[in-house]
Amino acid sequence: MKLLPVKRFIIIVLALCNGLFAVSQNTTLDYNAYKISKENRVDSSYIKMLQPYKDSLSKQMDKVIGFAVNTMYKKQPECALGNLMADCVRTMAEKKYKKTVDVGMVNFGGIRSYISKGDITIGKVFELMPFDNMLIIQQLRGDTLQLLLNRIAEKGGWPISGLTMQIKGNQALNIMIGGKALDTLAYYTVANSDYIANGGDDCNMLKPIPQTNGGYIIRDAIVDYIKMITEQGNPIDAKTEKRITYAN
Amino acid sequence: MPTNRRKFIQQAALMGGALLTSKSLFASNIVPVDNKEEKLVILHTNDVHSRLEPFPMDESKSAGLGGVAARADLIRRIRSVEENVLLLDAGDIFQGTPYFNFYKGEPEIKAMSMMQYDASTLGNHDFDGGMENFATQQLHATFPFINCNYDFTGTPLEGKTIPYKIIQKGKIKVGILGVGVELHGLVPDKLYGNTKYLDPIQKANETAALLQKKRCDIIICLSHLGDKYTDNKVSDEVLAQSCYDIDLIIGGHTHRLFEKPRVYTNLKGNETIVNQVGWAGMYLGRLDYNFSVGKNKKLEHSHKVIVRGKINE
Repeated sequence: MKLLPVKRFIIIVLALCNGLFAVSQNTTLDYNAYKISKENRVDSSYIKMLQPYKDSLSKQMDKVIGFAVNTMYKKQPECALGNLMADCVRTMAEKKYKKTVDVGMVNFGGIRSYISKGDITIGKVFELMPFDNMLIIQQLRGDTLQLLLNRIAEKGGWPISGLTMQIKGNQALNIMIGGKALDTLAYYTVANSDYIANGGDDCNMLKPIPQTNGGYIIRDAIVDYIKMITEQGNPIDAKTEKRITYAN
Repeated sequence: MPTNRRKFIQQAALMGGALLTSKSLFASNIVPVDNKEEKLVILHTNDVHSRLEPFPMDESKSAGLGGVAARADLIRRIRSVEENVLLLDAGDIFQGTPYFNFYKGEPEIKAMSMMQYDASTLGNHDFDGGMENFATQQLHATFPFINCNYDFTGTPLEGKTIPYKIIQKGKIKVGILGVGVELHGLVPDKLYGNTKYLDPIQKANETAALLQKKRCDIIICLSHLGDKYTDNKVSDEVLAQSCYDIDLIIGGHTHRLFEKPRVYTNLKGNETIVNQVGWAGMYLGRLDYNFSVGKNKKLEHSHKVIVRGKINE
């Protein structure tokens, strides 16, 4: 845009004024990150405000459903906590849909908390999986499954059950399902959340594929799975077992 | 130089864990009084994710951390000694504890209103209860939700957010804008409905230019884009390097606790600062801006920002 001479003049005057008056001093910025811990004093009016909400939650949320042998955090490419959840997805999908499920998986970003050594409460499971995502199954052809696993590789590895693989760059390699190498033309039953199957977390390749959705919330499946293990007389004791590793 | 050094020693002492006693908390705030300076204290949170109560006292590393009662008390004490305090949040207020599953965000917003937050932006999880729910919970908010790159026309959130807000704190005119992350592929389609995602860089630059024109002394962008990614995805880092007028980006989404604010050079050759303080309200970020006042009685816009201080464990 061409400026008219008058406008140009004003701009020059303004520029001069700025130059004359501005005192070029630095702005300083002091940074602090305060840790909010139980050593801090508390404002009791907030505890009062929360009390009615808390009282009604506690009745349901404080119920103990199992016992964890170790504290488990989420970690990539593989972690005990993720293996527990992926095994749960596969096992509970088999129970729900009464068929063999080849692969179970959980998106890493969907694990929202940790499990601490000791009692596992219903509230803890809500924190681990707060979303109301459904446990669904899909029939995936090997080539589509390969695309999904490449995406998982690209994202640094997600919890998986029934399958082992290696990550090299953005690719999934040496994929073994039930002891056999992935066949790009074979069909596999894969248990997942409806969030991922609907294309969430950049999994668009799953979007066109039909889902069997029995309305079973994954969080409820986790509660049922932990209760089942507890009823069998066992604690929750998941391990890492090289399901997903980095190639070289 | 002696001032910087004294400050450094204070900070170093604080890192030793003395911070949490009230006496040392206030000792850290003793900045030499200089009548040519105007101070703005910016307190901020991000990704609190319904963590109204502290983490339980279990075997985990987050045991006992967070909670609104402790955060509110700290904020109250800072306000009692500082004149110009701004309290901001960068989104993902919702989702993460049973409080959200059962009460849909009501206690979260009520607590933030009690703490007198000045502004917040929307994170992707703030859509988790649906847009109608957000509109309902917003009725409990005494602060605005600021975003300039979601077009909510024809949705339940139409007219419920604002693209920017100007807040006067003492002599300082603060311009605040907000940007959100792309919802497609992240939030289930039905939860964000007809919301249109607009280019955050372009919209942020347009909005910041407007705030600059209105002669704001500092322009702050509340962002839920995420701090940075390994691919080309837009982030706070990209925004900081592609903006003209934004001085500070208060970030979120990636749950990262910065050891110290990151300093970038923007397209005007000025500095744009980015900060983020983890998640779940385990930390409260505090940025003390000391503006020098020019001879024309205007606040000197930051030419060079010297960042001091460190995270307190």
